[in-house]
Order: sequence, then structure tokens, then C-alpha cells
Amino acid sequence: MDDNWDLVCDTYQRALTASDVESKSDPENEPYRSKYRARELLREVRALLGPEEDDEAARLGVVEFRLGVNHTETEEMSAGEEHLVKAARLLERCRLSHDCVSVYIQAENNLGILWADRGEIIIAQTYLESAESLYCQYMKKIGKPPLDPDEHFTTEEQRLTEQERAKRFEKVYTHTLYYLAQVYKHLKQDEKAAQYCHTTLQRQLEYDGYNPVEWAINAATLSQYYLGKQCYMEARHCLSAANVILSKAGQIPSPEAAKETDEAEQERLDHLSQKKAEIARCWVKYCLNLLADARKKLEDNIGELDADLQEELKAERKKQEDEKEKGRKKAVLFGSSDVYDSILAVEEKVDCSLPLDFKEAREVFLVGQNYINEAKEYFQLDGHVTDHIEVIQDHSALFKILAFFEEDYERRCKMHKRRVDMLEPLCKELNPQYYLLVCRQLQFELADTYYEMMDLKVAIGNKLDELDSHTIKKINSLVQAAIKFYEMFLDSLRSPDKKFPEKLEEDVVRPALVAKFHIARLYGKLITTDAKKQLENMQTSLSYYTFLVDYCAENEEAIKSVETELELTKEMVALLPARMERLRIQVSSFS
Amino acid sequence: MAPGTRGDPLDVTASFSSPEGDAIKVFVRVRPPMDQSLAGGDGDHGLCLSVLNPNTIRLHSKPEPKIFTFDHVANTDATQESVFSGVAKNIVESCMNGYNGTIFAYGQTGSGKTFTMLGPSDSDNFTHNLRGVIPRSFEYLFFLINREKEKAGDGKSFLCKCSFIEIYNEQIFDLLDSASTGLCLREHIKKGVFVVGAVEQVITSAAEAYQVLSTGWRNRRVASTSMNRESSRSHAVFTVFIESMEKINEIVNIRSSQLNLVDLAGSERQKDTHTEGIRLKEAGSINRSLSCLGQVITALVDVANGRQRHICYRDSKLTFLLRDSLGGNAKTYIIANIHPGSKSFGETLSTLQFAQRAKLIKNKAVVNEDTQGNVS
Repeated sequence: MDDNWDLVCDTYQRALTASDVESKSDPENEPYRSKYRARELLREVRALLGPEEDDEAARLGVVEFRLGVNHTETEEMSAGEEHLVKAARLLERCRLSHDCVSVYIQAENNLGILWADRGEIIIAQTYLESAESLYCQYMKKIGKPPLDPDEHFTTEEQRLTEQERAKRFEKVYTHTLYYLAQVYKHLKQDEKAAQYCHTTLQRQLEYDGYNPVEWAINAATLSQYYLGKQCYMEARHCLSAANVILSKAGQIPSPEAAKETDEAEQERLDHLSQKKAEIARCWVKYCLNLLADARKKLEDNIGELDADLQEELKAERKKQEDEKEKGRKKAVLFGSSDVYDSILAVEEKVDCSLPLDFKEAREVFLVGQNYINEAKEYFQLDGHVTDHIEVIQDHSALFKILAFFEEDYERRCKMHKRRVDMLEPLCKELNPQYYLLVCRQLQFELADTYYEMMDLKVAIGNKLDELDSHTIKKINSLVQAAIKFYEMFLDSLRSPDKKFPEKLEEDVVRPALVAKFHIARLYGKLITTDAKKQLENMQTSLSYYTFLVDYCAENEEAIKSVETELELTKEMVALLPARMERLRIQVSSFS
Repeated sequence: MAPGTRGDPLDVTASFSSPEGDAIKVFVRVRPPMDQSLAGGDGDHGLCLSVLNPNTIRLHSKPEPKIFTFDHVANTDATQESVFSGVAKNIVESCMNGYNGTIFAYGQTGSGKTFTMLGPSDSDNFTHNLRGVIPRSFEYLFFLINREKEKAGDGKSFLCKCSFIEIYNEQIFDLLDSASTGLCLREHIKKGVFVVGAVEQVITSAAEAYQVLSTGWRNRRVASTSMNRESSRSHAVFTVFIESMEKINEIVNIRSSQLNLVDLAGSERQKDTHTEGIRLKEAGSINRSLSCLGQVITALVDVANGRQRHICYRDSKLTFLLRDSLGGNAKTYIIANIHPGSKSFGETLSTLQFAQRAKLIKNKAVVNEDTQGNVS
């Protein structure tokens, strides 16, 4: 009997080696050679075991499970299914026992994969959810780390330690959750899928050897999902954890120090700095969205800060927030005890509730700006043009939203000036041959920024008793600059023979028509004492307004994208000729 | 090492974007069955598809046949010359006008990609009647250059350079320098994306271009045997940089463009077990390896609409290299090669679906405009 048992164990071990180790070096034209050998060995094991009696059921179940996996790995799905189902049947009665629970769950995991591969997600879901609940049941009722399947074929002294058993069993369950995450994703239950991804990450942190860089990037990516759902607390938690775990991947030395190390190390460090910069960019988006949502909440119907609303929201926040957060927090925390405090420390650096005044907004802004600088360290203009520009665009966006919270118009104007200063040099240098779309974005944003500055200067001017020449000069130069960039944008739409398209592409209809509308308005804002000049400007303005009306008459589908503008435009087209006529009479009566 | 999904040709769609007015065009080419007699024995009908007209193809799927419409569908009897005129002529012409141009060949191994792009595989002789799109593009390019030169006299000059690289397993190899190892990609504010250190060879005639092409092609074959790179899993990118200088009244007008000719990796499922990444792409499948958790999360982030977010796993080397020539001033054609035999049904279906998706892709980068506070 003992000899027989040694033979059984030996054969089983050989099957494992063939399947897991040797198969990796199988030749390209015989990819399954070792897997087939493993299969033969497993069949031998089965033959050597006794009949299906109670004491052999567990062992037979393990062999059937291994055979099932072997068949699915060699693309024999229905045979694989048969073995896995048989394994489950053999183990059914003892599935909650210390001997069988792990292999039973693994059989169900594999049946889940198998049915998902067949496109039957619902069936896969049944198996996986059953595995999930068996785990919970087992942990609640018994809890003692169960036997690993392969332990059924080892001698007494080869048995694993309790600790190792627990580790392996937890890993099996982590996989169940990970497969469920995918199942829910396929079933379009995104929220559930995200929750399972989150738990998978959490368990990796708790039990598994994980790759810190990969883990950090996954957590950072998950934060972007939460941003989409406006769950800032969860997003912040993921990002903080990403920072902490990435820092475990090794110190990132200064570029000078890095030069001295060898090539592979260099590459690793480059990879690391890139990932660090990527996570920084996720943080930037966090700050941007938080600020943008706050603005949306606070603005009145003309897009200005609503002070009454501000008071109201502040009072409300005090009342609610504390209780609400406590409840949610439990569900989503990362961290074994050793990293928990570090994560908390990162979290404390930025708020996760909407900022309600300039002071609070500025704090979020500053955090965002820090991460902008961190991202720029890696994404330098020379070498990473597109990424660099995206980071700068985010920086500009941060300033833009911060300006919303600023009450002083002069200071607000200065913030927009900062945007101009960072965007304009890029726009000038960038070659539209390769970066046409980015060029357009920059041109449009610059035009809009100048336009906004012009509006602010006009508002400042209106408060004065009389416009001084300095303000007039300032307004006019802002108008010119805005027009210049709108025109550059419009020119980029022209064909190589410089013709403006008769029909605009869907994705540029709105910006192109808005550009025309704004140019028309800008010509109306130019200040001059020369009546003839003024007439000219009005004429130009009218021609832009007319373009808009004509275009929408020709292309009715464009109307819906510029409804408000079109309405105003029509008014102006009706109004301007009369105004011009009056001016003409004035001019002639003076001459 | 598993090829993973990053080099998967399907990823290309993620960053295809169209320049104004020019969505990506798709040309489907059906190759003749290997051997007529074999085709007869290939099941009841032998063929799994029929070309209904020059734009439409019908796939005999059960229970309902599927109809696909493309910019052009070339049947088995299409000549190399007709494929060239249908796809490449226009693109070469617009390259002369300063646009960037890109032609991709996509399809499973054995569907005729190499035949379409290069010609019969056993000959290095590009004067052959059956030579493919690439040699014909060279000829046409230099024909146009010479014509321009004749018209403009000394006033206009041209400089053409070419490079030939291979992307395998997310690593870049220079096919014109067989000693090269992993090159990297960089972006330059004036020059766009380029491969650092790639050999750029000056060419002055079609014959010289053939020379460069066949050297590179030979290196690719050597690498695939001696260094264990499978050519069916690598992308090959041949790029011609065209620069013209025109002197008009002491003002020098420089125009530059690039023409990318790309032989994509085979689209078929690999038959070994290390390709979980590819399988994940199919709707219903589950990934065994925990390391792909990120893909699930990325997919979740992708659905969130309209909000600012950053996705950390984006670029594959191929899409990065071609990003700018796709995203701006570029004309792009995909040649989807398919095999009509019924055994290839699954691959053909997925190729046609890929091609159809590529057609739908719209500009990714939109002009941002804040509607608030502008109308007042």
C-alpha cells in the first residue's frame, strides 16, 4: 500500500511539473506536448486510486479537477467541462469541509471561466457567485485554513504550514472575485464590477505578492472611474494608496544619479518616473473635477458665483457630511495596517468635499498645481510633446476654474493672463502638420481666454466714470488678440488651396460657428473715436453675423448646436444696419 | 513572454482619428483560394462569402447572412495595379501636396497582406508584374517628383529619405540596421513622433527605394528565424519622408510630409496558451491572469462620459508612432485582406468587423469650448 501511495504521489507531482514547468518550453509547432503528457500522468493517478468510496472521493475530485483544467488549457472545452462537473459532483457532499473546500471553489472558478469563454456569461456568473458564497460560508462556520488541492498527494512531512495554506486559499478566493469583476463588467453592471476590482486590489494588498507599480497604476485608474461617478472620497483614497504603494517600488533618484547606473536600471527608473507622472496626472484630474463640480454647483444663470447659494451650501455641508462619510468609508478602505497610516497622511493633504469659496478652491488648486509640476518633470516638452501639452492644458484649466472663485476682476484677469503665458508659446512653436488637432485646441482656448479678459476689462471700465486711454488701449489689444486666434483657428479648417469648407465637419461645427459669432461681437467691442473706422468695424461685424445666419440657412442641422448664438445673431443682423445708417448720417452731418 | 494586448493590432482603433473630411477609408481585398481543387473540398460551398458589388460583401453566416459595406471591395480577380490605383495613388498624390499618408494592411496570416503590400514573397525583384502596393508607390512617387522637377526646373528640389522599422512585443527594431536593439520613440514639437536613432536612408529613385526595402525585408526574415521573432506577430512600418523646396523670388518654401506603409501583425488568434490578452478582447471571455485587472478597470473608466479623466494605459508603440500622422493632416487607408475559404470564416468575420469599426472612428481630440458665460 505504501509503495503504491508513493507511486501515486510521484506520478501526480510529475504531472504538475509537466503541466506548469515543462510546458513553458514546448516547441512552437507542438504547443501542448507537455500538457498532453501531464494528462496521461493524471489518468495514471486516477487508475491507481481506489473506486469512488468516501475516503477516496476527495482525491478523485482533485484529479478530475486537474484533468478538467488540463482539457480547457488544451482547448478541449466540452471534455474539460465534463471533468470539472464530475469533480464538483464528487466533492459536493464534502464541499464545506477542510479537505475539499479549496478544490471545490477552484473547480467552480474554472467552470466560470469555461462558460464565459463560451459567451454564456450568466452561467459563468452562477458558478462564480456560488464559489463566492461557499467561501463566505466556510470562513464563517469553520475558518481554519483548508487543505490545498495538491496536498492530497503529498506525504505527511510535505504538508504546508497553516500560514501557507491560508495564503493559497485566500488567493483562490481573490481570483473568484477578480473573475466576478469581469463577469459584471460584461453584464454592464459597472458599479458592481468596480466594487469587485476594488476588493481585488484590496486583497492583493492584504495577501498576495503584488507588483507595486502595477498595483499603483490600477488603483490610480480606478480613481478615474470614481471621478466619473463624482465619488471624490473613493477617488482620493485610491490615489493616496497609489502614491504610497508606488513609493514602495523604490526610490526614484535624481537624473544625475541615474546616469551612473547601468542600462537596465536606467530603463526601470524611467518606467518608474513615467508611472509616477501618470499618477500625478490622475491627481490633477481629481482636482480639476472637484473644482469644476463646485463651480457648477455655485454658478448662477450667467455663470457667475452665486453668493446666496454659497451660504446655503456651506450650512448644508456642516450638517450632513460627517455622518454620510463615515458610513461610506468603511466599504472602500485599502490597507493593511502598515500602509494605512501613510495613506491617511496623503489623504489629509486635500479635501474631498466640494470647495465653496476662494480659499478652499485655492487649496485644491495648489495641490493640483503641485501635481502638474510633478507630471511635467517626466512629460517634458522635448520628447513628450502631446503629453506635455495635455498637462499644460490642465494647468490652464485649473487657473480658469480658480478665476471663477476670485471676486476681484483685476486679479481674475491676471489669472487668465497666466493661462495665455503658458499656452501662447506652445501654440507658436507647434507644427500643425503633425499636431493639427492640438493646435486647434490651443488656438481656440487662447482666443477664448483673450475674449474673457476683454470682457473683464470692459466690466472694470464700466465701473469707472470715464474710460481712460490706458484701459481703451488694453481693451482694444485684447480684442485684436482674441480675433487673431479665432481667425487662426478658422484658417486651420481651410483646405490646402485656402478655401473655407462649405460644409463643416460635425466635430468642428460648433467651435467654428462660435468663433465666427465671437469675432462678430469682438468687432463690435473695438473702441475708436474715428467714426469711419467705427463704421468699418460694424460692417465687418455684420458680415460675420451674416455668415452665421447664411450658414445655418444652408445647413439646417447646424442650428441645434448654436441655438442661443443664432438667436442673438439674428437680432444683430436686424439691428446693425439701422445703427450703421444712423452713424452714417452723423458722419455726413459733421463733414 | 506573452504578447499581451498592447501590441494587438485591434488597439489601433483606439487612436485612429480622422482629419477633416477624411474618415479612414477601407478597402477590402478578397484573395483567391490557394488552389481551386482544394477549395472544392472545403465543405459544401467551399467559399464563405460573395462580393455583391464593388462596395458590398456578403458573408454566408447562419442563420442570417451578414452584409458589409466598405469604400471598395475588390474580388479575387482584382489585379495588383487596380489595388494600387484604388488605394495608394491618391495618397501618394496628397503626400506630394504636403499631407501625411498612411496605408495599413490588416488581416490574418495567409490572407494576402504581404502579397498586397510587396508582391510574391519569393522574389526580391520588384519589376515583377505582380509587385505590390509599396513598390508601385515608389514608382509613382518618383514619377510625380520627376514631373514636378521638369515643370519647375531648378526652382524646385526634393529630398526623400526612408526608414524601415519593426515593432515586436512592444519593442522597436531597426530593419536597416540589423545590429540595433530596442529603440525608443520620442516626440518633437516640430517633427512630430520619431524613432530615436533609426537609420534614415536617402533615396533618389524607385530603384534605390527597392534596394532599401529588400534589405530591410531580408533582415526581418533573418530576425524571425535567428532571434525567434515571429513575423506574423510583428508590425513592419516603412516610412518615406518627402521634403520639397521651392524657391520663388528668394523666398524658400519648404513642404514636408511622410508616407507610412504598414504591414500589421496577423490578426488571428494565436494557438498557444499565452495569449490571454487577445482573448479578453472578445466579448464574453474571462482573463485568468490577475495582472490584467487594469484592463477591466480601464474599460470601466472608458464608459464614464463627458468628464475629465486620465487613463494610464494608453499607448501601444504602433499607435504612438502613427498617432500624429493619423490625428492631423493625414489621409489613411486600410486594406483589409480576407481569405474566402469557409475554414477562415471566423477570422474573416473578425477582420470585417475590425474594418467596419475603423470606419466609424471619429476625431478623438475635440476642440474644447466652454459654453458658459460666453454669450452675453
